[in-house]
Amino acid sequence: MTRRKMFLRMITASLLRRRSRMLIALLSIGIGATILAGLITIYVDVPRQMGAQFRSFGANMLLLPDDEKSMDTAQVKEALKQIPENQLVGAAPYRYIRVDMTTRQQSFSAAGTDFGQITKTSPYFSVEGRFPEKTREILIGKEIAETIGAREGSDMELTWQPATAGAEGDPAEDRQPGAVLSGSAVGWSGGTVYVTVRLDESSRIASLTIDAGTQTPEIGGMTQTDEGFLRQFIGLSLPLEAGKDVDALSGATVTSSAVVEALNSARSADKTAAAKTVKYTVTGILTTGGEEESYIFMSLEDMAAMTGTDTVDVAELSVSASAEELDSYAAQITENTDGIRARLVKRVTRSETAVLGKLQSLVFLVTAVVLILTMICVSTTMMAVVSERRREIGLRKALGASDGSIRAEFLGEGMFLGLLGGIFGAILGFVFAQVVSVNVFGSSITFQPLLLPAAVIVSMGVAAVSCLQPIRRAVAIDPAIVLKDE
Amino acid sequence: MSLLELKNVSKIYGDLKALDNVNVHVDKGEWVAIMGPSGSGKSTMMNIIGCMDKPTLGEVLLDGVDIAKESSKKLTDIRRDKIGLIFQQFHMVNYLTAVENVMVSQYYHSMPDEQEALEALGRVGLRERAHHLPSQLSGGEQQRVCVARALINHPELILADEPTGNLDEANENIVLDLFAQLHAEGTTLIVVTHDPEVADAAQRTIVLEHGKVAREVINENFEAQQKEWLARLAPEVAR
Repeated sequence: MTRRKMFLRMITASLLRRRSRMLIALLSIGIGATILAGLITIYVDVPRQMGAQFRSFGANMLLLPDDEKSMDTAQVKEALKQIPENQLVGAAPYRYIRVDMTTRQQSFSAAGTDFGQITKTSPYFSVEGRFPEKTREILIGKEIAETIGAREGSDMELTWQPATAGAEGDPAEDRQPGAVLSGSAVGWSGGTVYVTVRLDESSRIASLTIDAGTQTPEIGGMTQTDEGFLRQFIGLSLPLEAGKDVDALSGATVTSSAVVEALNSARSADKTAAAKTVKYTVTGILTTGGEEESYIFMSLEDMAAMTGTDTVDVAELSVSASAEELDSYAAQITENTDGIRARLVKRVTRSETAVLGKLQSLVFLVTAVVLILTMICVSTTMMAVVSERRREIGLRKALGASDGSIRAEFLGEGMFLGLLGGIFGAILGFVFAQVVSVNVFGSSITFQPLLLPAAVIVSMGVAAVSCLQPIRRAVAIDPAIVLKDE
Repeated sequence: MSLLELKNVSKIYGDLKALDNVNVHVDKGEWVAIMGPSGSGKSTMMNIIGCMDKPTLGEVLLDGVDIAKESSKKLTDIRRDKIGLIFQQFHMVNYLTAVENVMVSQYYHSMPDEQEALEALGRVGLRERAHHLPSQLSGGEQQRVCVARALINHPELILADEPTGNLDEANENIVLDLFAQLHAEGTTLIVVTHDPEVADAAQRTIVLEHGKVAREVINENFEAQQKEWLARLAPEVAR
């Protein structure tokens, strides 16, 4: 038999045959390790847990077009690739346009988005009815629903006007020799007036057609046909000033001004598209308590079909990551993705970081207190063990045990207790953390494989430190005195 | 040849002279009893010889080495290598079995050897009780385990402090028989006792009084006793 085997035999015998005393020490280490392992699990898991909670308050990162233009979906997808999949909670693209509700001559803001993502980035969206699933289905804000008296299942006819004012840049750029321009402006009682103009070689007006079908036929409508009114435009250069360059048609001042305004904002034909009217079905009424209630939501695909273009104005991202990670992702996206810059919603990320920091330091503090309490408890028990075994220690010394042997034996016992306590603690601690997590955060946690070795090492370390003072006492025992004690 | 020699040894605690200029000489293979009433300095002498204490004055030569001058670490080494201790209260590790208790002594000395430990228990007649815990053994049995433990490393000197003090007569005789056997094998024995019967079993008795050697008594009957014992215990040795 080797000395090592005898050492282990003595230690295990001491633990197994002196059960009651050692059970107390084991219990204190075990309970300490349990609470420790539990707290460590929660400590590690808090950011994830709380992150998920925070993510319910909405997006924390925005993707915006670089130069005030717009992005397309391909660019957004490219940008999203730079965020690890497991941290990206959701990414909802948005495109905003104005649409007219034909039957009521009223215009609203419409947002094109991805309904599958909206539920992830904006979990606070509350829908009476359901989210649109098929094409030509829309969600309308509560405010609009109340204004127009629409309900779930109502039909809504919407028209998109190719707003010339919406085209980018200065209309002057388009006034090239020989160009055909078209434009529109709001005339009498909200009706739109359309113009198409052809320029000659010196960029002067060569011909002009006016569509004033929305105007009163005998008054504003006359602008379409009145030769005197039309002729005065020929040979003029844009832009024009109503009342100075051209005279208004008698009795139709508003429509005449609209014609001039439409001409001034007219753009080349390839930058505009034809108006389109589509009938949609309302699948739900949206309540958020915010400005979303005055929007019509439709899928990006429906919006693209309506407008003939596929662009995105902004993408809202919900990313479950620390403030530092968010910063680096944003910088990375801005750097690497052409035409896109990422911006953090600072208010959200900052409060998230602050709350997380406080929570973690609280857990850390409690962990430290538990650690100290465990140490005191184990130390006290080991102290009792030493005084209970004074005679045995004296005997061992009398038999020739060196101070080193005595140290090794007690440390060995302590570490063995730490090992057992650590294993129990890691397992029970996980259960404890699971219970806390389910009750406090309402979600379960995953077992951290590192927890077992960590708990064992910490328990053994605590046991070893706790044994230092008791060991000092054991080593100081004088065999001549304790062996004489009756 | 001398194994142990105390030269002008004194142990002084403040005003009290526990040992006062003591001179003692023990030869290799001798069986010596140290007797005296309580407070006569027996225990102090036992601790000094057992390397668990140092004298205030004087020389203690054990196998030619003056242990009075050694460090306590060195004393531990000497105690481990040369001395087998037997105590009045037996002193066993209460959570280890009889054989494990013997092995503890081997463990500190050199290498634990269960077979050898079992043989030592066989010598004291406890082969069958080897795997019992101290609580399952009688006082006599415990003291015999301690004898086995003391002799397991083949020490030069077995130092027994009141080895029969807590035993009944039958067990006392068993222990004395074991001592007789050890003596026959050439082991040096020093037995501290206040029991005249135990002292009478020895070759020579040193009587202490008030920290001084009062007298030394030679046991005239020793040879006869030893012969009688050996005839009873180990006939082959007697011849």
